Amino acid sequence: MTAVARSFFAFLRKGIAVMLQYRGEIVLWAIWGLVNPAVSYALWSAAAESNADGTIAGFGRGEFAAYFFAMMIVGHLTQAWDTYEIGHLVRSGEMSPKLLRPILPIWEALAGNLSYKITTLAFVVPMWCLFAWLVRPTFDTSAWQLGLGLIAIVLGAVLNFVLNYVFALVAFWTPKLDAMGELYFGACMLWGGRFAPLDALPDILRWLSGLQPFKWMFAFPSELIMGRITDPSEAFRGLGIQLAWIAVSIVGFRALWSVAVKRYTAVSG
Amino acid sequence: MRLPSCGCCAIAVRCRFWESRIDMPLIEVDNLSKTFRVPEREGGFLAAIRSVFNRRFRQVHAVRGVSFCVEPGEIVGFLGPNGAGKTTTLKMLSGLLHPTSGTATVLGDVPWRRHSEYLRRISMLMGQRSQLQWDLPALDSFMVHAAVYNIPKDQYRQRLDKLVEMLELGPVLKKQIRTLSLGERMKCEICVSLLHGPEVLFLDEPTIGVDITMQARIRDFIGDYNRRYGATIILTSHYMADVTALCKRVIVIDQGRILFDGQLEALSEKLAPFKVIAIDLDADTDGYDFAALGDVLAKEDRKVKLRVPKGAAASVTGRLLRELPVLDLTIEDPPIEDVIGRAFGGSSGVGPEEETSAAESQGGDR
Amino acid sequence: MARGLKLMWLFIRVSLQNLAAYRFDMYARIGMAFMHVGYELLGVWIIFNRTNEIRGWTVYHMLVLVGVFRMVAGGIRIIIVPNMRLLLQDIHNGKLDFVLLKPVNAQFLVSVREFVVWRFTDVLLGASVALYGCVKLTGTVSPEALLRFSVTLTAAFAIVYSVWLMLATACFWFVRIENIEMVFWNVFEAGRYPIVIYRPWVQGLLTFVIPLAFITTVPAAALSGEDSKIVPYAPVVATAAGVCMLLVSSWFWRFGLRRYSGASA
Repeated sequence: MTAVARSFFAFLRKGIAVMLQYRGEIVLWAIWGLVNPAVSYALWSAAAESNADGTIAGFGRGEFAAYFFAMMIVGHLTQAWDTYEIGHLVRSGEMSPKLLRPILPIWEALAGNLSYKITTLAFVVPMWCLFAWLVRPTFDTSAWQLGLGLIAIVLGAVLNFVLNYVFALVAFWTPKLDAMGELYFGACMLWGGRFAPLDALPDILRWLSGLQPFKWMFAFPSELIMGRITDPSEAFRGLGIQLAWIAVSIVGFRALWSVAVKRYTAVSG
Repeated sequence: MRLPSCGCCAIAVRCRFWESRIDMPLIEVDNLSKTFRVPEREGGFLAAIRSVFNRRFRQVHAVRGVSFCVEPGEIVGFLGPNGAGKTTTLKMLSGLLHPTSGTATVLGDVPWRRHSEYLRRISMLMGQRSQLQWDLPALDSFMVHAAVYNIPKDQYRQRLDKLVEMLELGPVLKKQIRTLSLGERMKCEICVSLLHGPEVLFLDEPTIGVDITMQARIRDFIGDYNRRYGATIILTSHYMADVTALCKRVIVIDQGRILFDGQLEALSEKLAPFKVIAIDLDADTDGYDFAALGDVLAKEDRKVKLRVPKGAAASVTGRLLRELPVLDLTIEDPPIEDVIGRAFGGSSGVGPEEETSAAESQGGDR
Repeated sequence: MARGLKLMWLFIRVSLQNLAAYRFDMYARIGMAFMHVGYELLGVWIIFNRTNEIRGWTVYHMLVLVGVFRMVAGGIRIIIVPNMRLLLQDIHNGKLDFVLLKPVNAQFLVSVREFVVWRFTDVLLGASVALYGCVKLTGTVSPEALLRFSVTLTAAFAIVYSVWLMLATACFWFVRIENIEMVFWNVFEAGRYPIVIYRPWVQGLLTFVIPLAFITTVPAAALSGEDSKIVPYAPVVATAAGVCMLLVSSWFWRFGLRRYSGASA
């Protein structure tokens, strides 16, 4: 375990050094996470304003501002992108040296994920403040909601990272196809509540979103932070469901990983 | 036979004023210099953070005051270690780089003005980079090249047939580039860069990474092309064999300056203050102290090879003849790669170790 | 000019051959194109399930815009993205030298070397959606609207191309920014919806500073004959903006090239 921890921190240090080296680029990647919720906010607040009562599913302008502000933060902190990455690693052969190491490549990916989020904070935090100042979100958050919300962000980040990695393993079978990244990303947008609050979805879609894990990565932490989940038991149940999905994802990873590596060594060895 | 380079330039200048332009050298380079500014940073975590706030730059003098002339139809070899300024000079002559100072005229034009008439008359081959489309058969890349250079259809066919024949490219034309061996790919690169019939060729490492037989064939082709079409060629290579086989004249560059410009044979005389004395002996001479006379390069049975300073060659020869039962004695210039290697300071010489040795064994084959 | 077109046609033909080499990829990607449009239509359905119009834009207006957005995005990916990516790669690994050695205008050559032909699916799908929305909205597609649409859409492409060329040219200075195209997509994201959803000062910004309004909103509005509501004399202004951008970007490219060859320090 200590060997893993030592490698992990080495990866993290290296990751941060690399990110600093490429600071210009990572900032560019981070901008999308700011623009997308801002555009969604503009769209939904304009749509709400067109209705007679000025609201949609209980969201007025201020609530939409709060929701998408929270989503901006949650979306940044819980994002994962290995579905885009691994296909490239397999194609270019960069996966091979990673497999030779006495540590699972997922740890290096995790270190990369964390170092991106850490290094971009210096850029995104001021941007978050700017956005909040511009749109004046109406928050109704108490301390327990904020506290549980932070825990929910951590769990959501873990869930998204592991599940994304599991889906990324498909690349071992069809390395040429980047479709998995797009599909997963689309799911996060729609079922995760990044495009619209889940309560604003038509009933059938809302019901479908409840069956999937994506809601627990994005919508749930965001709603907790903006104070929309008022019942503590509901919040705790949500955290429980997050943990359950994490467990399922880890089991899925364990099961798929050995098969994927076998496949990789059979094809390219 | 050939005038020293500075003289040739002086004559050329005179020619321009008083005589016809025909005698003008094809390539005329005067005091060409190029300086780059490159950022630098040490490795490591803290250095990465530091470089965020404060970048340091370093001036790199890639080429400093280079002058030479090349006559029509000549093949000139550029020699020098990595980073000597060979490629930078070629890039300036092909119009890819603007010099920091100095002038150059090629085919009566200033290269870095990049007139399309000029570009049509030259070609540059970069052995380390491919200009062919990776996923397409070579023939498709050739077709694109013909369109870009606006080569008339029949002329294109004619040239292509000729080149395919000379390079023995027939079987690989319709294969995707990525499926070709390095040697085959290099032949395709050469073919594509000659399709428009350039009068001046800049070949930067045309044989790099290619196996020895293929090197020899590419070399033969270049020589053949030069004889057949009278094209003027400047060539850089890591492999001495390329230069010794193709170029009567070499220009040795080190740290951006010309160390030597002249006949290949004169190179060793100028740069190497050594001679190699080889003797065949009639009887065993155990215990004779050859090391006192010079560096013993080889000693087996009754054959000995000695390297001695040029000035001492006569006296050492005399002594050997006097003191030993000599059957046969020859005095030679040291091998050229040795000379170059020593000129650039020891083994770091002309290139990585294994490449030099490959060139040597190549020389042995001939 | 004729030679340029001939050259372009040759590059298209070569790209088509390239496409045949990766047929399976192509089918998968065409499937993805349908998926993208599907997601976007789903988005429109979700919003208009909850409201009837957004600041004067009905669901059919929105369909026209979604279609135009897809068309423009498709057009960008057919010719602009692949060529600019190739240019960035070439700058990065020194192969731009080969382009500069060619006796053809370098800006033209770097802009037309590659075509991702299957992306034409996006254009067709987008056009279908846009036409459907337009017919539902106005009952017909008038020749005048079509003309206005063509002019504004051409201007939109001129603007987009100029922006990309400038972004790519910036890489002469910042060689390592390979992800510079993110700058474009980040801004383009805001053009997914009509600019009327933004506050007035943002709308002004997106019209006059970053000419995003001309890329999607104006052509979409032109198809339903309402472009003058967005910008007065839209076709004229859009054309002027396009020409200006082309001139500026071409100047910037030449400036960058001089720097690349070391002609300016």
